[in-house]
Amino acid sequence: MALFEAHELHLRFGDRVVLEDISLSFEVGRLSGIMGPNGAGKTTCFNVLTGRYRPDRGRVVFDGADITGRSPQAISRLGIARSFQLMNLFDEFTAFENVAIALPETRRRGADPIGQAYRDSALVGEAHEILVNVGLGDRAGQIAKSLPYGERRALEIAVALASRPKLLFLDEPTAGLGSDGRARLADLVRKLKGAVTLVVIEHDMEFLFSLADVISVIHWGQVIAQGSPADLRANPWVRNSNLGKLA
Amino acid sequence: MSGLPLLALERVSKIYRRGLFDRTLAFRLDVDFRIDEPAIVGVMGPNGAGKTTLFEMIAGSNAPTGGRVVVAGHDMQRVRYRERDRLAIHYHQSYQVRRFSRTRPDFMMEPAGSSYPVVHLFDEPQFNAQDGYIGFMLDFFHRLRGEGRLVFICLHPTAALHLELLRQTCERYLFVANGQARPFADFGRIISDPDVRRYLGALAP
Repeated sequence: MALFEAHELHLRFGDRVVLEDISLSFEVGRLSGIMGPNGAGKTTCFNVLTGRYRPDRGRVVFDGADITGRSPQAISRLGIARSFQLMNLFDEFTAFENVAIALPETRRRGADPIGQAYRDSALVGEAHEILVNVGLGDRAGQIAKSLPYGERRALEIAVALASRPKLLFLDEPTAGLGSDGRARLADLVRKLKGAVTLVVIEHDMEFLFSLADVISVIHWGQVIAQGSPADLRANPWVRNSNLGKLA
Repeated sequence: MSGLPLLALERVSKIYRRGLFDRTLAFRLDVDFRIDEPAIVGVMGPNGAGKTTLFEMIAGSNAPTGGRVVVAGHDMQRVRYRERDRLAIHYHQSYQVRRFSRTRPDFMMEPAGSSYPVVHLFDEPQFNAQDGYIGFMLDFFHRLRGEGRLVFICLHPTAALHLELLRQTCERYLFVANGQARPFADFGRIISDPDVRRYLGALAP
């Protein structure tokens, strides 16, 4: 079943077409990949899917409801979380606090959320469980800005998971990571697969080919190819590229 | 698209002069051809010969000095500015977009009557054999053609790969040089033309 669908999205900035015609469908429990060369429109597409830009034409449907043009806040309340290319953490807070603040129960309580989170053993337990899930179990007390880059990425995903999303968007999760960091992040994403519906936007083909159930290739603001990693790899040009050699 | 040629350039010319007072000719391009059926067309020619200018005229962003560009029956210069890319879309290389003047208000002009472009102009697409995207790009060109559209791929070959890509992908060709855009019916013909061979130099097979 499709949890999220985009129908014929078209977006222009002034005279320039940035999204020509994008239709996508993300199935429950799957990991859907979106890839494309630099400047292909991936991040713009992400921004339309998550409500930052309103398309000039086309519809975005989540869980049966038309969410086209709704604010990012309204969309996130429906159960869509996202993590960005540029990280969004409270740098002076600990890893635990970053996750605890993002828990829906903490948010509902209003004043002094961090104090509240520390006092409530259920919240403490839940925040720790999420940290353990992303491999940061032993980093709970560490200040966010003191974490190495790769662990900050993982913490960002933990913060996104804290809202218990039905759908999690990851925008270029490997950006800035070295090969070790990528491998660790791939392990983490593999672990999340199935538990939450994932959409990963990535420039790094290798990363997506090893993880995604289905991949859409975006270029020139359109979906130029779509299929499972095996389908896409069947293309002779892909087989003969660096990517094909990894298979 | 019934019966009408997908694209006709009717005695199109583009003339640039040095300046308002110095009327010395700086650039001249004369083009006259039509394409009735869906196709993938390869466009080659030296830098500065007018490949991009040709694409701009087809896309309607650059007005010819003389003649008409007609896409699916529409004279491009009479179509509303914002709707011209519904007929012919120019995928620019990098982000350099040249701006052109608008002389008439949109309400005086014709609607495009199309929601997805009929003519697709790919200006120096980045073909990198290492990354595998080429395969998806080529499939996409074939898909557009299969849907009844007209695809142009402009390339200034700098490697044997580029020529091979054109040979495998394109059904007809244009060679833009010396102020003209000369059509060729197939790869064999374009590749045996003496001007083209001189232009390709060591790449000529």
